[in-house]
Order: sequence, then structure tokens, then C-alpha cells
Amino acid sequence: MQRRSFLAGTAAAATLASAPNIHAASKDKTYRTALIGAGWWGMNILREAMAGGQTKVVALCDVDSDRLEINAEEVTDLSGDTPRTYSDYRELFEKEDVEVAIIATPDHWHALNALAAIEAGAHVFIEKPTGHTIGESQAVLAASRAANRLVQVGLHRRIGPHHVSGMKFLKDGGAGEIGLVRMFVHSRGGAEKPTRNSEPPENLDWEMYCGPAPLRPYCRRIHPGGFRHFLDFANGTLGDWGVHWLDQMLWWSDQQSPHSVHSTGGRPIAGAPVLNDEEQTTDAPDHQTATYEFDSFTATWEHRKFAGQGPEQTSIGCYFFGTQGTFHIGWRDGWTFYPADSKKQVIHQDAQLQEPDGHNLKLLYADFLRGIETGSRPVADIEVGHQATTLALLGMLSMKLGRSVRWDPDTQSIIGDEEANGMLRRKYRQPWTYPEIG
Amino acid sequence: MPLPHPLLLRHKLASVSRHCVAAVTRRRRVHGLASVATSVFSRTLLVFALPIGVSCSVAEDWYRWRGPNGDGISTETEWNCDWKNGQPTIAWSHSVGTGFSSVVVKDGRVFTLGHVDDQDVVYCLNVADGEVRWTFGYPAELDARDFEGGPISTPTVDGDRVYVMGRAGELFCLQTSDGTKVWGKNVAEEADVRLPGWGCSAAPLVIGDKLLLNLGESGVAVDKHSGELSWSSDDRECGYASPVLIPDSDPTAAVIASGRAYIGVDIQSGKQLWAERWLTSFNCNAADPIFHDGKMFLCSGYNRGAALFDLNDATPSLIWKSKEMKNQIHSSILYQGHLYGIDGDMETGARLRCMDWATGEIRWSVDDLRPGGLALAGGRLLLLTEPGELMIAPATPDGWDPITEAKVLDGKSWTAPVLSDGRIFCRSIQGQLVCVDCRD
Repeated sequence: MQRRSFLAGTAAAATLASAPNIHAASKDKTYRTALIGAGWWGMNILREAMAGGQTKVVALCDVDSDRLEINAEEVTDLSGDTPRTYSDYRELFEKEDVEVAIIATPDHWHALNALAAIEAGAHVFIEKPTGHTIGESQAVLAASRAANRLVQVGLHRRIGPHHVSGMKFLKDGGAGEIGLVRMFVHSRGGAEKPTRNSEPPENLDWEMYCGPAPLRPYCRRIHPGGFRHFLDFANGTLGDWGVHWLDQMLWWSDQQSPHSVHSTGGRPIAGAPVLNDEEQTTDAPDHQTATYEFDSFTATWEHRKFAGQGPEQTSIGCYFFGTQGTFHIGWRDGWTFYPADSKKQVIHQDAQLQEPDGHNLKLLYADFLRGIETGSRPVADIEVGHQATTLALLGMLSMKLGRSVRWDPDTQSIIGDEEANGMLRRKYRQPWTYPEIG
Repeated sequence: MPLPHPLLLRHKLASVSRHCVAAVTRRRRVHGLASVATSVFSRTLLVFALPIGVSCSVAEDWYRWRGPNGDGISTETEWNCDWKNGQPTIAWSHSVGTGFSSVVVKDGRVFTLGHVDDQDVVYCLNVADGEVRWTFGYPAELDARDFEGGPISTPTVDGDRVYVMGRAGELFCLQTSDGTKVWGKNVAEEADVRLPGWGCSAAPLVIGDKLLLNLGESGVAVDKHSGELSWSSDDRECGYASPVLIPDSDPTAAVIASGRAYIGVDIQSGKQLWAERWLTSFNCNAADPIFHDGKMFLCSGYNRGAALFDLNDATPSLIWKSKEMKNQIHSSILYQGHLYGIDGDMETGARLRCMDWATGEIRWSVDDLRPGGLALAGGRLLLLTEPGELMIAPATPDGWDPITEAKVLDGKSWTAPVLSDGRIFCRSIQGQLVCVDCRD
């Protein structure tokens, strides 16, 4: 069957003469807003901010000047605002009076960008994960609390309608007592061929792109859009999708902390990573499993980038296995409860997402502004984001280390393993300095 | 035909104030006895429906990229698609090597390009039976690092010559009769300009005695008889669209897609007349500009979108722009006031869309066809899907309602089909070329 959509006549074109229509819904207060990291996802967030009617876009920042230009033009077309453009976020915060900073850079930049924004007095909407290493995430949490600045993390699944109703179903005991949670993302793939290195495009400040991470040869597989699978800049699938699904599990468990984390993974299908003067591949694992041991249940993560969906009904989401049956919370497929008693009816609820990218940023951004106005914590507050990020990064850490780690949430450290504790931080490239906590 | 972006760049689309209504499509298949009556009826209708002034040639040579009129439209009407039992007649199938090159047809011969065993090979086959008349090979890398690899440009026939361009800037002039090399060179090296990221993909354009190529900042021209360099441009990254002549221009001008702009160029001197800045995320301007009624339509993927410009002044002036059509690889086709095009990222899910030329409004959008390439003939859209299904539907702003569809290829297809001499030629990346016989 084909899906088709007939778009209403008002949809398409922006003529030069047409009045900007985004501000029509304005409420009283508008926030002087800057976007740091004006790529695909950053613009998704900013569009929701503009559509919400309480945003004046004062500045965009990106190390890719072409992206900046394209996206500044789009902001003007959508809102009538003419944002100033910057290639260095430090200069932006020095020159602009920013009330809200949206941060959607690659992960290795999140902490430094967020700390600069907080120091400049801005409230922050930051993409997950909240750090590339756990220490960075701790620093953002501490700084935002000390400065009394609100930080909402882009975990839109905290507020998406089918997630909210699914969580109510679970917490009301719909699946009975839960003993095992399984989080997973699967896709297709095979061996990876190296991509040729090249001079960075003239529009890209590659030195600034790498920032605190090691400076490596440029290749177009990294930018734009490919950083997630390079461990210098991100943490692979667990550091991406994993944060969302770990957060669902934490939400259900009322933010419990695991006793121990163990993870294995590798690249048997993608092949050994390549990085030389001529060419390179990604270096994130093509599959990974992680086991999180909690007081009263076990949670596992599994991703693979080969074999596809296989015999299962879904390739993404979270299974909660309980005494009454199996509850699946997914993405575009909503949630479904499969009763243990096969005579009982399967229960299902569709997802309600914003397309084309299938998210609930509109709700999350509105919750963020509500938090600023009322002083209450937003649904995906920095502490929530920090916990989900921590579990993802502990998984990465255990995989690299090759052994289990025991996490103490009170001291925010790994118990009895100095080598592992050393991996809570990373060495920054000069002149960047690793953030101090608190 | 330009290159796919191999990375899984997730596609974005401005969704502000977009209103979508989903509807279930009714599929029609024509079977058995009913097909006779239906076909007669539909052909009768088609003849009456033809607008006055459109020529009804019996057979038409599709001798260059986007066809004789450079618009992607075949004016042939003497073909039908009332396939018996839903299955078309596959007259022949031949392997032409890995690549994305489309075919051209001249005097009963079909020409294309593919990669086989460390060579790019030019194939000349009989239209009638697919028999190989000649081949011409030159050493080339498959270079499959970022995609399946192989050549990506389409040959151009001019009289008794065929011009062929390889990804690394190789340029050859061959005799159409037997494939004898008239001249050959690496024009990128000679002009001392860099290659674009995915390699050269533009079809050469013959204008008088010149051969215009998309290389350098705003093109390179060579003498078509000798291959001698006429003029070149600065060493900047070129785009992937083919050069297109501006109709009725004085001086005669063409538009060249550079990496970051579409540039009007004086054919004689190579001088830049104007440059319309047109940025994408990957310096990937791949869709040919479309000219009509003193206006120019530009469209690119990778974050860009579409715009219509007025060309009546010295420099283009914007009429409208939209994010609702992003031609990542394939040029749209303008037919009777509407653009039919493939919108979005080919890897992550492109859509077939119909857009109003005058206003930029989207008339319809079909989301899950997995379009691989598009052509238009006799008022009908010919869509080759990525999995190799050929679908035919009336080209109308009222919606997408296929008359017929059939699986014609295995493997992945991202090359536009070509209708010429009553046959539809479809090609997969892996190099299967099939001739679908649509004559009575």
C-alpha cells in the first residue's frame, strides 16, 4: 500500500513579499535565542522554538559557514528575524545577550558549549548525551545548579504522547511485575570501505570542529552528519539511541541506579577501523551488548548494524518483560502489550509524532519554556539527562576496558577501579581545558 | 547523472505549517481480455488529449542526456503500456558494467557506459536485439569507496560522434560507427582543475563547434572536433548537474552548476555573466536548471530546496522559494505548468512530488514509492523504482494513479529510464540494461 499526502495549497512556497508567519502565535515574553551547532537536528529544534512563538533568534553559530548561511536564510524566511552568524561560540556569547541557548553540536563539544552558555547567563536546551565523557556531564549538571540556570535535555521521548501513556500503563501494573528490560536498535549493514581523506572544504573550520578532540585528517564521512560513529566525537549507537532507551528504562524505574555494568562489542562485520594519511573508516562498534544489574531487575542493551530486523516485529525500542506479559515501547510503531496469556487481547497505541523526523520536540520545547517561566524542573531536566548519559557512557567504558564496572551514584565514581575512574575524563587537545566539576 | 551521497544523512524537511492528508492509493492492474478494450480506449483518449503543437514523431532519437529538447520529455506517442498479464515484453537484457550512466539512442543504436574489470567501457548495442556493435574501454578505477562506484555521466551523441566523460576527468570522442577513438584526454588535468568529491558526472553539451563540460568553477569548453581547450575556469569544485543552454540568450549562454552556485556563462568566452549563490551541505548541485518562459528553476538536496527566478534582467531575481522540493540527484521534469520530481534523500527515503511551477505549491506527494529515476513521455510519467519496478502513470497535478507497473530489473536502480524508438531502457547500478518493448 502506498502512503500519499496531499499538501494543502498554503504549504509550499515562501515568496519574497509574504509576511513572516511564525510570530503570529506570539505570547508576551520572547526569548533572545541562539543556536550553537546549526545542523540538521539543531534546525529541527530551532524550527519548533520559532513555531512556538516565544523565540527571537539572535544568533547562529557553526563551524561550517555554508550551513550557517543556508540556515540563517531559513530563519529569516520563517520568522523575519535576521540572526547574526558566528563560527566561534565564545565570540557569540561575548557579543550577544542570550537568554536561551540551544546546543546541538557533536557530542565532544556539548559540555564546553553548555558551560559557556550557563556562564553567560542563558538557560540551555542541550541535545543528548550531556557529555562525551561522564565528567563533562557532571560539570554541566553542577554548573547549571550553581548558577540556577535551567537545562532541558533533548529527550523528547520523555514527553511524547505514546511514551507518557505507555509509562502510565507500566506504572499502573499493566505488565505486572517487571523482571527484565531489553533495549535495542537494529539495522542493516555490512563491511565498511574506507573513505578518502581530503582537504577540509573551504567553508569548514576543521580545527574548530575537532576542538578539544584530537585533530585528525578530514574526510567527508565525518562532516556533515557522520560524527556519531567516530569515537573521538561521539559514542556510537549506545551514545545516541541508547541514551533515549536507557532514559525510558530509568523513567519506569524511578531513576534507580545499577550496581554494575558490563558491555562487549566490536566490529566483526564492519571490519577493523582504518585511520591513516590517505583514508579512514568509522570506529564505533558495529554491534554491542550491555548488561545493567539493578536491585530488582536486569536491563540489557543490544545494537547491531547488520542483519536487519530479523524475525522480530520491530527493530527499535524497549521491551519490559513482566508477569502479565511483554510491553514494547517503540518509535513510529507506538506501544504494544502482548499478554502472557495468549487468550487475552493484544493492546496497542499508535505513536503521535512530528514528521518527517518522528519526534516530539514541540512538546519538549514548550515544557522547557514553561520551566523557565515557573521555575519548575522540566521533564528532561539535566539530572535526568545526566543519568541516562552516564549509563550509556558506562557501557562504552566497560566495553573499552573489557570488564565490569561498579558505579556509585553518590560519589559519582567507579568502585575500586582506578583505571576505570581515569576514563571518566578525557585528555583535551590544547588550548582547551577539561571542565572542572562544581 | 550525478552521484548519490553514500552516508546515511537523515533528510530534513521544513515542516512548518505543512498540512498533510493521508489517503490510500488504489492500484490498478490491467489483465487479460479487459486490457484490449482498455488500451484502445486509453490510446484514443491520449490522442485527443494531446495539446496542439506537440509533434507526434513515430520514433525519436534520445541522443543526449534529458533528450533532444533537454527537458527529460519524449514526444513519442506510438508506444503502449497495456502489458499482457501485467508483464511487459523484455526484448533483450545485457550487462553493461557497474555505474549510474543513463543511455542515449541514435540511429538504431544505444550507447552507455559501465565499469568492468579495471576499465570503464563504452557500449554500443543494437536497439533491435541488444547485440554489441562495439565497445571501447579505458583504464579507470571502480572507486567504490563511497558508493557502488563506476562511471556516472551519460554519453552525448553529435552526428557521427559520441562524447564520453569518466569520473576522473577522462574525455573521449569516438566514432559512433565503430568506436574508433577520434581524440581523448584527461580534461581535468589539462585544465588544471580539481575533481568534485564524487567525480565528474555531467553529460557533455554540444553547442555549435564547442563541447561544454561541467568542470572547474564555471565550466570548461573544448573544440568538439579536435578536443583542443577553448577556455576553462578557476580551480574550484564543480557541481554534478549537466550544462544547460539558456533559451534565446544573447550572447548565447549556458548555466553551469558549480559546487556553490549556478553560474550563467557566455559560451564563446567562458566569461561569467552572473552567479546565483546556491549552497548545499555537500557542494552537491546535481539537478539541471530548468528554463521556461523567461524563468529559471533551481533545485538541490542536502538542505537546500527549490526556487524560481526571473531571468529577464541582467541577474536572476527571485520569484519564490521552497523547501518542499529537494532534488538530490535527479532533475525535475516540467510538464504543462507542473514540475514532477524526486524530493529528498535517496538513501533514507525520497518522495515523488508534483509542484506548481508558478507558485511552488505542492500538488501531491507519494511517500513510499522508493523512486529511482523518472522520465516523461506522451503525457505519462515513467518511474523506475529503486528495486527495479517500472511504473507508468498520467502526468497530472490531480494525483499519482499508475496505469501499470511491472518488475523489470533486479538490483538497485537509480538511473532515469529512457523512452526512445518505442522502447523503454532501464538500467541497474550493477549494470543490467533491459529493453522493454512498448511498440504495438
